[in-house]
Amino acid sequence: MQSILYPGGIPLWRNVVFIQWVVQIISAIVVIAIVSGFIFNVATEIQDREIPFGFNFLDDAAQIPIGESVIQYDPSQSYLYGFSVAALNTIKASVLGVIIATSLGIVIGVSRLSRNWLLSRLALVYIETFRNIPLLIQLLFWFLIILELPNVREGYILFDAFYLNNSGFYMPWTTPLSGFWPWAILSLIGLGGGILAFNFLAKREIVTGKPSYPIIVGFAIFIVVTIIGLFIFTPLELVVPERQEGPFGRLQGGARWSGSFFALLIGLVVYTSAFIAEIVRAGIQAVNRGQTEAARALGLHTNASLRWVIFPQALRVIIPPLISQYLNLTKNSSLAAAIGYPDLVSVSTTMTQIAPAISLIGMVMATYLAMSLFYSLVGNIYNRVTRYAGVG
Amino acid sequence: MNKKLLIGILATVSVFAVAFSACTSDDGPTDADLQNAQATTSAAQSALSAANARADAAEASADEAMKMADEAKMMADEAMMEETGGRLAQVQERGTLICASRNDVPGYGALDGSGRNVGFDIDLCRAVATAVLGDPEAIEIQYITAAERGPTIQSGEVDLLVRTVTWTTSRDAQWGNYAQTMFYDGQGFMVPADLGVTSAYELSGAAVCVTSGTTTELNMADFFRQNAMEYNPQVFEDTDIVLSSYESGACDVFTNDRSQLAALRTSLQNPADHVILPETISEEPLGPVVPHGDDQWFDIVKTVMSGLIYAEGYGINSGNVSAKASGDDVKAKRLLGTEGTIGQESLGLSETFMQDVINAVGNYGEIYDRNLGPDGIDLPREGGRNALWSDAPCSDCPKGGQIYAAPLR
Repeated sequence: MQSILYPGGIPLWRNVVFIQWVVQIISAIVVIAIVSGFIFNVATEIQDREIPFGFNFLDDAAQIPIGESVIQYDPSQSYLYGFSVAALNTIKASVLGVIIATSLGIVIGVSRLSRNWLLSRLALVYIETFRNIPLLIQLLFWFLIILELPNVREGYILFDAFYLNNSGFYMPWTTPLSGFWPWAILSLIGLGGGILAFNFLAKREIVTGKPSYPIIVGFAIFIVVTIIGLFIFTPLELVVPERQEGPFGRLQGGARWSGSFFALLIGLVVYTSAFIAEIVRAGIQAVNRGQTEAARALGLHTNASLRWVIFPQALRVIIPPLISQYLNLTKNSSLAAAIGYPDLVSVSTTMTQIAPAISLIGMVMATYLAMSLFYSLVGNIYNRVTRYAGVG
Repeated sequence: MNKKLLIGILATVSVFAVAFSACTSDDGPTDADLQNAQATTSAAQSALSAANARADAAEASADEAMKMADEAKMMADEAMMEETGGRLAQVQERGTLICASRNDVPGYGALDGSGRNVGFDIDLCRAVATAVLGDPEAIEIQYITAAERGPTIQSGEVDLLVRTVTWTTSRDAQWGNYAQTMFYDGQGFMVPADLGVTSAYELSGAAVCVTSGTTTELNMADFFRQNAMEYNPQVFEDTDIVLSSYESGACDVFTNDRSQLAALRTSLQNPADHVILPETISEEPLGPVVPHGDDQWFDIVKTVMSGLIYAEGYGINSGNVSAKASGDDVKAKRLLGTEGTIGQESLGLSETFMQDVINAVGNYGEIYDRNLGPDGIDLPREGGRNALWSDAPCSDCPKGGQIYAAPLR
């Protein structure tokens, strides 16, 4: 390395390689020092204060009540099982919330861009209202509104099968019988057939230009096979909610969507959909105006241009921030504890009465992390599938 | 890579390491609040010493290096203990006593019309503050939920936990040390009168509201499981939300400690429309809790509680402290610090600290009457467990109960 300025070779303090190394090593040391400081602090505090820590408790009977669960739960079951019950409750709220919030968010985001003055103003008011009120306040608001409904003994009844009151919404539901699995497999086969038919007909429509109704036919195949399966195997039994004997008159059987769950779902959906609406609007506006004009020039009407030209391109902009909204929704569902929905945080808080708190909080954090990473993974895969061919 | 570069990198790293260790070995923080930061520092220190030890051991054996690392760690720990001192010193240096309590249950912990913290639990906090700082107002109340009690006291961020905490063996083992039972409670059920329920054994099929993170929640699960009764638990963090749910009929039953049910019933719209069922399904001894690991502080709180209880037994109240201090009742004089000792010196308290305490908050009976008795939520004491023991020395105090503490000597 000969240089005009430094004929004796580049000195150390001007050596780019050296400087980069030093900076990297210093950053690494700082990061390691901070992280190990935290870990040592926790470790020494746990030891000094004799705070219990460990995971042996997971097999013990949990002995705690959980108000509602996706799978059967009994207090004599283990902590691990109880924890899973709670995790499933969180997943239930998160998945349903994500689906509904996305649909609602897209509708509102598109409405926001509508040429209809009233519609676009309404969407604006919706977005600005719900985006700017803290979620916890909204949850309490919805919950207190649900509490204003008549109680379970006086609530609304439809056909002696659907009940709405301040304990929740009760409706007939099915329980699986022995024929469930054969039926489920048959339905899956039907679904596969439907998809095959859809692909075939869709291709034919493009090649021949004749309308072949791929969606309708594909769906019909799936539905018909599923219904035939219902008659062959009798997989499910319909259970209608019934009023129990005694002074309380609670309802039993069927599906119950509790008031707490409703409040949580409404709160999460309304709050998140306001953000999603803005993301959708931004995505659509990010598509070059020329694309709309080109679609118009090809003779596509507004809906078709939105469906086939604008939206596919907008999706590329929408997906990444959309995923981060899904993550937010999932994490925000931890506010459920305030309104009595037995989610992960609420149940594990109850568990910390007997089980070591630090272990449980670690497990809760790991579970949320896993869920968030899962959403990210799915989102990123979708993102990769929908990007411009040949890019990256 | 050329040699010069490598040497340069190594030199820089070692300079950095020296600078780092120089920074961390500065004077230890004097402020007690910095205790946590200090733990980090000494941990980092011991990590560094361990690293040094390992470096030195390039020639020595690995065993020796481990020994050196252990020694470094021990020295760091000892240094930390010497520098921080006990909790008493911390509290006195800080000038306030930090109590974790509540502001949502009349009688135990609530705010009065002027925004002042009042209640049975708050008065116990004030009593300890008076004993160690001489001032009943030198308190800082942290409002926490039931579920936060464990982590709060475990972390040692508060000096005293007085938030209707039931004494149980696991909590004693995990949370902190229970100083003294100051109130005997038991869990009960409240239901709307118009349901016509008369016994807890008729609660099958009910939706039951409960606050999360409480023994109540666990006892309820046990009770229903034991009696093979179906129920639907509804668990909320805040007492206010529990009350709203109960009042709206979203749940049929509200379960809590009986005294709290009585207290909370007063805040319902029509208290007379709600009945507390006769069964008591659990033992709930309530009292103050101190963090683990400081025996002196534990003893101080126990002594203050004993003092409050015996003051009532000896007939000392906020109106006659100075008369009793110079009177001829030997036991009263010992309690008030004018003759003999109740262990003030070993506890690091002033000889006459109980005079200040009783002047400030009164004796046990006065605290009870003001908050839970006739001037508060009106829980009867006469004939119940919260009266003094049968042969208490006083003449007109309620007797036949279980309020008893270590004798003052």
